[in-house]
Amino acid sequence: MFTGKGGVGKTSIACATAVLLAERGKRVLLVSTDPASNLDEVLETRLGMQPTLVEKVKGLYAMNVDPEEAARQYRERVVGPYRELLPESAVKNIEEQLSGACTLEIAAFDEFAKLLGDAHATSDFDHVIFDTAPTGHTLRLLQLPAAWAGFIESNVGGTSCLGPLAGLQAQHELYDKTLQALSNTTTTTIFLVSRPEHSALAEAERTRNELDAIGLKNQNLILNGIFHAGVTDDSIATALEARGRQALAEMPLGLKRLSRTEVPLVPQALIGVGALRQLGNGRFDPGNEVLLTQPGENLPPPLAALIPDLISRGKGVIMTMGKGGVGKTTVAAALAMELASSGHSVHLTTTDPAAHLHLALRGDIPGLRVSRIDPIAETRAYTEEVMAESGRELDEKGRALLEEDLRSPCTEEIAVFRAFARCVDEGNQGFVVIDTAPTGHTLLLLDAAEAYHRDVARNLSYIPDSVRRLLPQLRDPNFTRIVIVTLPEATPVHEAARLQDDLTRAEIAPYAWVINQSFYATGTHDPVLAKRGILELRYIAEVRDKLAHRLALVPWQAESPVGAEGLQQLLAETVTK
Amino acid sequence: MTTIQVFDPAMCCSTGVCGPSIDPALPRFAADLEWLKSKGVQVERFNLAQDVGAFTGNPIVKATLNSQGTTCLPLILVGGVLVTQGEYPVREVLAGFAAVSYEPGPTITRVKEQSPSLVSLGGPSKIGRG
Repeated sequence: MFTGKGGVGKTSIACATAVLLAERGKRVLLVSTDPASNLDEVLETRLGMQPTLVEKVKGLYAMNVDPEEAARQYRERVVGPYRELLPESAVKNIEEQLSGACTLEIAAFDEFAKLLGDAHATSDFDHVIFDTAPTGHTLRLLQLPAAWAGFIESNVGGTSCLGPLAGLQAQHELYDKTLQALSNTTTTTIFLVSRPEHSALAEAERTRNELDAIGLKNQNLILNGIFHAGVTDDSIATALEARGRQALAEMPLGLKRLSRTEVPLVPQALIGVGALRQLGNGRFDPGNEVLLTQPGENLPPPLAALIPDLISRGKGVIMTMGKGGVGKTTVAAALAMELASSGHSVHLTTTDPAAHLHLALRGDIPGLRVSRIDPIAETRAYTEEVMAESGRELDEKGRALLEEDLRSPCTEEIAVFRAFARCVDEGNQGFVVIDTAPTGHTLLLLDAAEAYHRDVARNLSYIPDSVRRLLPQLRDPNFTRIVIVTLPEATPVHEAARLQDDLTRAEIAPYAWVINQSFYATGTHDPVLAKRGILELRYIAEVRDKLAHRLALVPWQAESPVGAEGLQQLLAETVTK
Repeated sequence: MTTIQVFDPAMCCSTGVCGPSIDPALPRFAADLEWLKSKGVQVERFNLAQDVGAFTGNPIVKATLNSQGTTCLPLILVGGVLVTQGEYPVREVLAGFAAVSYEPGPTITRVKEQSPSLVSLGGPSKIGRG
């Protein structure tokens, strides 16, 4: 099982491992549980919810656990047999009820559990490799067996909120087996994937601790993207190598104790079986193509170019979205800081459980308020609010029932959703900059917005105004400006393009794109980095010509972009060759 | 012994805590059903999202649902006879259905509501007619 912060290369490494094992004659099943999986692109194979043979690699099968599809299948199992017997309004009522974030999460987990807890499901394979979702989400998924199991045991009322999976008690045994399989050190190996960077290593250490705490002890570390400068007179290459070396020297002790594998930074996109094979074998074909440097004048403007238009609106929501690890938090912090320094009141907040806004800012900036939506604190506050308001007029038995229902895993989803709606609503008073969780999870939030909007449409008067206004405000281009952040590489760009499609379907039009961490824009002439820079041009052009209305390009920063000065650098003029 | 059957619309759970906001009628009604059980009344509750078969298997429920759509929900049957539709009756009314004695006690006295979000919920149409 491969896990780690978004963008560290989990998918590439999981795929390379799968290819390597399959080519040694093993039968391998590769599974992605990321709601925004890009396994299809990396393996160049169209995948679904069933194991599909990967062309070109004998013995390798792959599949995606897609929450939307899992939920659709679950709905069909519930409604299908009764479609002819019920009026349309009833069928619609059931389908709507089974479309929320809770159904998605549980249905996806159910598929995951089947693969781990049901021996028959995977008996055809020697190895099952999980390319898991980005960290925060993965942990929630892994903790669910314990949470649900405890919930089922302590649920005495019988009528309680078991969420959309009514037959959950029947799953108890399966979930138990899932947790057992995960904590069995002879059958399950965990690979923590990280880049040689402070934030990624800190995240890996956090994951190591949390996995350890739920009994997943068999852990290994993979360091991806180890870089050695190929020339001595290139400040970018020198800085990158030094930063990597320093991050490794200061690596948390817990990680240092793990057995470790290092994978070098490679000057090519890890797409297709050929590239994966090379990554697995550690042999790269340097190629003999000539590096043609493009003229710099066609490069997109720097991040600062977005500021005047944003400021001119005086207030509203700015939301950074994108794949994990692309620098959403940094871009959000830089925009918030710039708006604050122009004299506006700005609230910077995050829905990403793994984000570290205080690390990005390092200290107070006048006019800028920083917070985060903490699922645990939000759940506690919501539970207390409900007990105080709805529990007030109940008798003891009624209060006990309500309390029991509030222990359901759905409560956290609701609490986080309400906090998100509150933050968006603050955009009526001033600027709110929201750094969102990695894509998949954010999409679940937006799905929830749509599902609840139907409740709103029914005009139920007890819905908070912030929730009532949420979807219309997200859809209003004069109120909410979505900034899609990506890297100039194939996977992040294509994933961001899918995100844009999903948003368009929800009638939300992104405001601008930001391409972050461009080596091309730094003017480096290190052989590996310059080649990576040339590879970027294709993706920069793709975003500029086909995807974005407004676009900014941010060079890779030799100094870590933290603190007021570091963030200022991020906004500054692009260096061109 | 009286049997009360409640056929709910599709809900995540019986107290409604899974919605973006709670309809206070739901936790109150769940508590009332518990109270009926404590008086020896047999209570059966079916959620359209979870027990579809119970709806199609009961001729009265199936016919009402087919002629009126989901606006008729919740349907409440006492001893197999339809007694109310489209609302969650208060405890006093439920006690009458089940023929059990009911004395208003301090625990169910309605507290004066301060929160504006709750004012609308206390309306007679939501809580049921007395």
